[in-house]
Formats: sequence, structure tokens, C-alpha cells
Amino acid sequence: MGLSTLRNVRYRGMATCVPKHKVSNLDCPPSRKAERERLARNIGIYERRLCPEWQCFSDLAFDATERLLAALEWQRNEIDALIAVTQSPDYLIPSTAIILQDRLGLSHATIAFDVNLGCSAYPFALHLVGSMIAAGTVKKALVLVGDRSGSVREPLFSDAATATALEYDVSAPPIFFDLNSDGSGFRAIMLPVGGHREPAGLQHFIPYKDADGEWRRPDDLQLDGAAVLSFSTQRVPPAVKRLMEYAGTSPDSIDYFVFHQANRMINETIRKKLGLPPEKVPSTLQDFGNTSGASIPVTMTARIRGELASRKNRVLLSGFGIGLSWGTALVDIEGAVFPELIEA
Amino acid sequence: MASIGDFIEKFTTAVDFQEPVEITPDTVFADLSQWDSLAALGVIVMFDMEYGKTITGETLMSCTTIHDLFALIG
Repeated sequence: MGLSTLRNVRYRGMATCVPKHKVSNLDCPPSRKAERERLARNIGIYERRLCPEWQCFSDLAFDATERLLAALEWQRNEIDALIAVTQSPDYLIPSTAIILQDRLGLSHATIAFDVNLGCSAYPFALHLVGSMIAAGTVKKALVLVGDRSGSVREPLFSDAATATALEYDVSAPPIFFDLNSDGSGFRAIMLPVGGHREPAGLQHFIPYKDADGEWRRPDDLQLDGAAVLSFSTQRVPPAVKRLMEYAGTSPDSIDYFVFHQANRMINETIRKKLGLPPEKVPSTLQDFGNTSGASIPVTMTARIRGELASRKNRVLLSGFGIGLSWGTALVDIEGAVFPELIEA
Repeated sequence: MASIGDFIEKFTTAVDFQEPVEITPDTVFADLSQWDSLAALGVIVMFDMEYGKTITGETLMSCTTIHDLFALIG
């Protein structure tokens, strides 16, 4: 499909929740200080937010949704759909969104299910729920995007969840999309163990030292940094240009370009290739790390919330990563609610 | 035409060495004590942004010396 337009869908608001607990990437033995400083400088990530043991994606998403519903003054029985786009479900089955339907006190007439997408999630989430609304059957919907993907053992990922509200509105400006998938690159980022191809066994718990001398286990997330870097910096800039051309717009008439926060090397390369000024490309890498699918809304809340809430903005939102999957949405936002960042 | 002196300077910046390192065209870059996966990413970005050349991690690791890398510019 690639390029498409959705009409009659209004972006009504969004709330972001992150764990209170902060972890510094420079918190390490003195002997490793210089090495960690070099790492933090290059990936652009100094501080991250990590859930304590008990806290799940759904707990953060619950708090974000409660705050958003209060700001919107929506009644719970008006919500027709609750979709969670996450790779951090409470359980492997059933869908976390269904559990949240009950926890949030939404009606039994709510459509609820999960979608498995990571770093690219946000534009796909807007398209999926936007399509349900554009068809005219769903009037008010919530889409919960985020992950609990951080750990103290690696320096990239950080936890967050977000709730976005979309509503049927015939006077809404069109939303433009460019959405793509390439499964030939599925090994670039994967959790290889625990599914049906490779059920977890004792052999997956035995640590080994990787090429950089770090201890790893076969059931850890595998990330081919070079492959992800090449994919992101080669595929994203032309996709962004293609969407602007399709929508008949130019960088000058777009207020903000919010990219998935992967790491500084990737994000700066994409920004420079597109020739975009830093002030139009907000970043939260430094203090929120890579928050997976939540990173676009996290950046909107933490960096441009005031601007988004107070005036009309045209924003380009671009997510890319695990799958491989990459998507961009061009959204005009006006009169939407953006509660302050929630720390739980 | 790119010069190897200029290339070595860009390579050194891309790797972001913590300690000063002397690099010649014959240096085996994977043997440098500070060479790691982060350094590889820096070099891939450097090829792309400085020379407009896309290289994969496999292509990079198929090279041995700095001169081999320089030859990739073509």
C-alpha cells in the first residue's frame, strides 16, 4: 500500500507516562568510566527510565490513559476501541488491551486487542485506529503505544507508555501516511528464544562473552547494530521525502519532524540527510533513551507539549526499526490536549 | 580525489578514540585496542556522510587494513 490518506479522523490528544526511576549510563566502575563516556556521547543517551520489578507496560499505559480521559472529559462508555501496540504484554496471551478494557472500566462493547510492533509503531498505530474511525463505525478510540524494553545491562532502551485519542470528525484535516515492511531483515533485531521456532530451554540460560567482551545469554535481545544503522539511514530519508511529495508539502511548512529516538548516530544522520535544522527536530535521547514505539509521543510530550497544545502545528512523525518496519505520518494537530509528562 | 591522510583523520574522528592512537595505511584496524562495534558504526556513518558511500557491516569487516578501507571509496 505504501502511501495513503485518511479523512474524518481528528487527533484529539495524547498522554505519556514514564517510570520515576532514573538510571545513568555513566553509573559504572571507575575503570570503565572513559569507555562509558565514549558510548554515551556517541549514542547520545545519558539517562534512562526503568520500571521497577513490579511495574509493566500496562501499568504505565493505564496511568497515561486515565490522565488523557480526564483531560478530554470523555465518558468511558463512549470509547469504541482500545488497541495496544506493544511488544511488552502482561502475559504472552491474552491481549493486554483486553485486560486494560476491564481495568479502565470501559464497556464490554469495546473492541480491544494487541498489535506486535516496536520502534516503528506510532505511525502504524495511528493508521490502524484511524482506518477504523475513517470507516465511520468507530467514533472514539484510544491507542496505547509503548514498551518496557529497558534493562540495567544495556545502555539503549528505556521504558514508557503513551495513550493517544482519535475521534471521528468530518471537519478534520486529512492525515497522510507512508507505511512499509521488509521481513527479509527480521534477524536484525529479534528475541530469538521463547517462541515456537525456538522454545526456551536450559541451554538458553548459559552466558557467553560477545565480540565486545560483554556477557550475554542466548535468550537476550539480539541487535545487529550495523544492519539497523544501514537500514535506518538508507530507508527513512527517502520515505520522508516521498510522503512530503505525496502530501504536497515541504519542510518549510512542517513545524516539527519527530523521529523515533534510536540513537544519536542514526538520528543525526537522518536529520542531516534531510537537511533539517535541529530546532525542528526535537530529541529526547539524552534523558529518556530509546523508548521503542513510545519514543515519538514521548518526545512530543517532553519537548513540544506547550507548542502542540497552544497552536496549530503540522507534524511529521517517523518510526523505524524491528521487523524491519518503517512508517511516517503527516498530521495537522489543533485543539488537542497534551497533559504534562506523568512519572509513576 | 580523496587523500588517505584526510581519510585517516576522518576515520580517527569517527572511531572517537579515548586515547591518542597512531594510524598508518598499514594499520590493522580490528587489532586496535579501542576497536569495537561502536567504532564500526561510526565508520559506516562516516563513509555515508563524508563519501556518499553505503557500506555494510560485512563489507567493513572483510577489510583488514586502513588502506583496504580507503579503497572502498572507489
